[in-house]
Amino acid sequence: MSTIDDKATEVPEDAAGESAETVPPEQEKEEVAEKKEINKGLVIFVFIAAFVASLIVGWILFPMVLYTQENQPIDFNHALHLEEVENSCESCHFFREDGSYAGVPKLAQCVDCHDEVMGDDLDELAFVENYVQKNIEVPWLIYSQQSDCVFFSHAAHVKAAKMDCVSCHGDIGESTSLKVYEKNIITGISRDIWGKNIGGIKLHSWDRMKMNDCAKCHKEETGNQGACFQCHK
Amino acid sequence: MKIDRRDFLSLGIGAAAGIGAGTALSPLPWKLIDDSSIWSQNWPWTPVPPDGAVSFKNSVCTLCPGGCGITVRKVEDRCIKIEGTKGNIVNNGGICILGLSGLQLLYGPTRVKAPMKKDGGRWKEISWDSAIDEIVKRLKNIRKEGKPESVACVSGTDQGTVAQLIGRFLTAYGSPNYIRTSSIADSYEIALKKLHGQFSSIGFDFENSDFVLSFGSGVADGWGSPVRMFKANSKWKDSKDKALYQIESRLSNTAAKADKWIAIIPGTEAILAMGIANVIIQKSLYKKKLIEKYSKGFNNFKALVLKEYSPEKVSKITGVKKSEIIAIAKKFAGASRPVAICGSGQGRTPGSIFEFMAVHALNALIGSVNNIGGVFSVPEPDYIKWTEAEKDDVAAKGIKTDRIDGAGKKYPDTRYLINRLIDSINSTGDSPVELLFVNGANPCYTMPDTENVIKAFKKIPYIVSFSSYFDETTEMADIILPNHTNLERLEDIPLAAGLIKPVVGLSMPVVEPECNTRHIGDVFIQMAKLMDGNIKASFPWNNYEECLKKTLGDKWDKLARDGYWVDENSRASRGIFDFTPLVKNNRNLVKPEGKSKLTLIPYDSMRLTVGYIGDPPFAMKTVEDTILKGNDVFVEINPKTAAGYNLSEGDKARLTTSKGKAKVRVHLYDGIRPGIVAMPRGLGHTEFDEYLAGKGENFNKLIGPVEDPVSGLDAAWGIQAEITKT
Amino acid sequence: MKVDTKQKKFGMAIDLDKCTGCGSCMVACMSENNVPFKKDETNKLDSITWIKVYKVTNDKKYPDTDLCYIPRPCMHCDGQHGHAPCVSVCPAVATDNDKSTGVVSQIYTRCFGCRYCMAACPYHARYFNWWDPVWPEGMEKYLSPNVSPRMRGVVEKCSFCFHRYQLAMDKAYVEGRRELREDEYQTSCTQACPAGAITFGDLNNPKHTVHKMVQPDNKHHGKPKNPKAFRLLERLGTNAKVYYLSDRKWVRKLGDNQTPNEESSKKH
Repeated sequence: MSTIDDKATEVPEDAAGESAETVPPEQEKEEVAEKKEINKGLVIFVFIAAFVASLIVGWILFPMVLYTQENQPIDFNHALHLEEVENSCESCHFFREDGSYAGVPKLAQCVDCHDEVMGDDLDELAFVENYVQKNIEVPWLIYSQQSDCVFFSHAAHVKAAKMDCVSCHGDIGESTSLKVYEKNIITGISRDIWGKNIGGIKLHSWDRMKMNDCAKCHKEETGNQGACFQCHK
Repeated sequence: MKIDRRDFLSLGIGAAAGIGAGTALSPLPWKLIDDSSIWSQNWPWTPVPPDGAVSFKNSVCTLCPGGCGITVRKVEDRCIKIEGTKGNIVNNGGICILGLSGLQLLYGPTRVKAPMKKDGGRWKEISWDSAIDEIVKRLKNIRKEGKPESVACVSGTDQGTVAQLIGRFLTAYGSPNYIRTSSIADSYEIALKKLHGQFSSIGFDFENSDFVLSFGSGVADGWGSPVRMFKANSKWKDSKDKALYQIESRLSNTAAKADKWIAIIPGTEAILAMGIANVIIQKSLYKKKLIEKYSKGFNNFKALVLKEYSPEKVSKITGVKKSEIIAIAKKFAGASRPVAICGSGQGRTPGSIFEFMAVHALNALIGSVNNIGGVFSVPEPDYIKWTEAEKDDVAAKGIKTDRIDGAGKKYPDTRYLINRLIDSINSTGDSPVELLFVNGANPCYTMPDTENVIKAFKKIPYIVSFSSYFDETTEMADIILPNHTNLERLEDIPLAAGLIKPVVGLSMPVVEPECNTRHIGDVFIQMAKLMDGNIKASFPWNNYEECLKKTLGDKWDKLARDGYWVDENSRASRGIFDFTPLVKNNRNLVKPEGKSKLTLIPYDSMRLTVGYIGDPPFAMKTVEDTILKGNDVFVEINPKTAAGYNLSEGDKARLTTSKGKAKVRVHLYDGIRPGIVAMPRGLGHTEFDEYLAGKGENFNKLIGPVEDPVSGLDAAWGIQAEITKT
Repeated sequence: MKVDTKQKKFGMAIDLDKCTGCGSCMVACMSENNVPFKKDETNKLDSITWIKVYKVTNDKKYPDTDLCYIPRPCMHCDGQHGHAPCVSVCPAVATDNDKSTGVVSQIYTRCFGCRYCMAACPYHARYFNWWDPVWPEGMEKYLSPNVSPRMRGVVEKCSFCFHRYQLAMDKAYVEGRRELREDEYQTSCTQACPAGAITFGDLNNPKHTVHKMVQPDNKHHGKPKNPKAFRLLERLGTNAKVYYLSDRKWVRKLGDNQTPNEESSKKH
């Protein structure tokens, strides 16, 4: 306490050699209180500013930096193709006889129809010229690609549990173009696995595909989270 | 406004607190921690095998003469696992350790990736065209000099279209010198020729036998067709009425599986066989009617056996108790479907013909020749019906010259004498072989007296290897024309290993060739087309696939579907069994060379390949540390013997024979006869790759061939040795 | 302990009189499960072999010597309270007993390599990756996508080829059923054994061969009723799921690794 008073009464020699006028004690106390107010206020302000800034960094800037943006090699129109086929998703994303899931279709599947250019879409032209005619598989970027430790059985979920595709994959079928593929630069895993929301908050069942999402649904549907080996390899 | 230190601090703390609280409430640190832990598990050098569609492709394994059917599981176009084909006539789903490791021979850096030529001591990659041109030029020159017989071929087999194409090429070229590496196939062939009067292979109906008397055959160690034998052995185990008796000086895996292990003094198996014959004849336990009707020379044989092979005499020589000899004879003759077999270990060395004849005589005595559960004379599969190769004057003259290996001359029933080939080359000034083809064989490693073999190979001016790997013989070659590996190759595989009917398997390419290799059949067809008139005319096919399909004709469909074809129509002709050769060649016992108290014998194991394929890394991994530790091989010695040499478990020692010396370590083993040292075959490679080379010692450098007086083939079963602690 | 026999309990029976010690099971397992290999594998303390074939003799002198090969996969112990010894000690829950199949799982991404489980396992069935596995150039092509290749610092062990169960169930689901036939889920070692010495199946299912061979008594922690059958280290009470059969008494006695004068404990 006394230090402040001392400072207040001490006349510091400044560069110009002028000394400040001594201030009466009541005013001093007020000023000190004001300064404390300002200081405290400043501190609180800085605190809030820093707080908000880091929230912004964490919630908005961080995800922009963390994920790379890539476009799919061909901008595929799901809605258009869905009109043309009979079995909906399973027409192209089918089960093989041995129970394994074919996943994203191979060139042979597309060539059934797209042997030659069918319409006047530039994307289709690029597809036929660069891939069909050269017999190169399209390097699709797979949104729901899990890491190597995961064994996911489509047969168990689609055939046995009779789930629909939308519950986990969302409305891809109704999209007219493929969304940008975002990949985490640290882990190399697609953003769709952790979830669009950087905090892992999900609004729909298809927003996130991490282990505890699977576990939660398993618990609700089967009564327990399942054994480790059911989903891991 | 002045900011003093305290203010600065409080502002700083305020800011830090703000950042801290904000960051903690933002996902940044938590996500970073989670992501970093995932990052730390995904090093870029840990492979992530890509997934895809699974398919299965069938073929026949050719890594040993067993001929098992294999099914290869593929993911997209990668092979990921080899399994045995269920329902296959040979192996019915089972598969051996070498077959399972096959993918390590298909993929990996040890393969010869393209044609290679030796240039200043180093291998240089060349094109296929220049490789074939170079060889054709040499062949033409040799022919011009009028010495077509100086071109020879060493091969692991003489059956099948590939072997016959090479043989056809040599015939049209003018050389009789197609030489097959030796094994018990030769011994059985010669024994059968002598006793039955006709050439055939041997077949056994093990699946129906109820008593198997094995004279050292490695039934559980890789003899015959290994998986087939394992399954037969398990079948015998399933029934209390079936038995396997193993006669051997060492407790091998076969002896351990046998119902009885008869420990014998090594090298005396033939004497024991004759002793058993003595008991069978003396006690009239043999099939009198069969012998009277279907044999000749029996009376002389009977007289000899009764005079010289009494159980007392035999017991002294073999070390087997008299009561045991009588018991074995009674059990053998009293079983309903007994059979006797021989050919020690995996049957890689020919052995003594007297022994083969004596054992086969046992089969004749109790009526198991050409009978259920017994032994059969199996004709070679007769499906290659090509017209004879055309010969011009040069060829006609060359064909008539004496074979360089001397086969057929002094030993009229022997067709191939590879150990004499080595002697021929070493004993003359210039090598009688000017150009040598080597296919499916690694003689610089697998033949006894390695030093001598390498000396001979060094003398040969030009060696062409078709090997897919850099093995010991290929290192001595001048040019390599790498063949596809068995999983990339289309080929007919006549199965030789002891089945009772001729069976042909079909090896199908399971993948596209990984490297710039070419099918050896195609190479020979292409070479023929570049050669002179009659050779070219003898090769009317455009490529090997065409040749094979045309040759197989209507059998192709069955082969492509099932993987094998059985010649159901083949009949073993019931020749007369002639006992005379046994009497003529009586007592031709082969003694080990040298003069010391210890005898060194080899032993074969499933885990160490003994043939021309080097042991793959997976199989090497299974080798116990009492066989190989670091780079040291262990030899087995009975503790009693070891004590006499002051040797304890694990001691380092030097093993010396008249042929060479080896650095070894000692493993004390009660399952081996005192006075014997046993060493595993299959180690001591100097080539291939660092997973195999430099480990252990090659048994073959410690032993040399001993010519069998009946066949001329190598009948050495062991050699005298000395061991000193180092 | 009440046991729900409707649950599956996958186990194995190995006939030691048929086993020839050929080593096929070891290589089949290595090939199926992406097990790495080094240039020098003679130090058996760090050589990774999920199933290992041991060799034992009857300690008699020539010519009465006899030997026996014992293939030892992971025993997938049930322990005393449904937990294997290794499961009880894992701090990361990287290994767990699955009640519905009896298989003890090992999840590589969760393991951080403390090796507590290796100390707990009495069978030395667990192996540690001291080094990053390195496949010679080109050989990584034969790696199977059904099993994750491990990195260094992680413990691995036999999984009863559980990926084959997953794939077999896939096929069953697509065909509209949930039960597997006996031949649809077989481990790689069982399939490869040329002597047919290994039998694999559901110990709880009386129709399965392995149940008939062993006759496990669920009221006494799975002890085999077949007098020719035994488990390794039975007296530790690990309640293993791998049984061995032999006609030879000396082999059966070796199961408990007794010293010459010891009588087998009757605690379990």
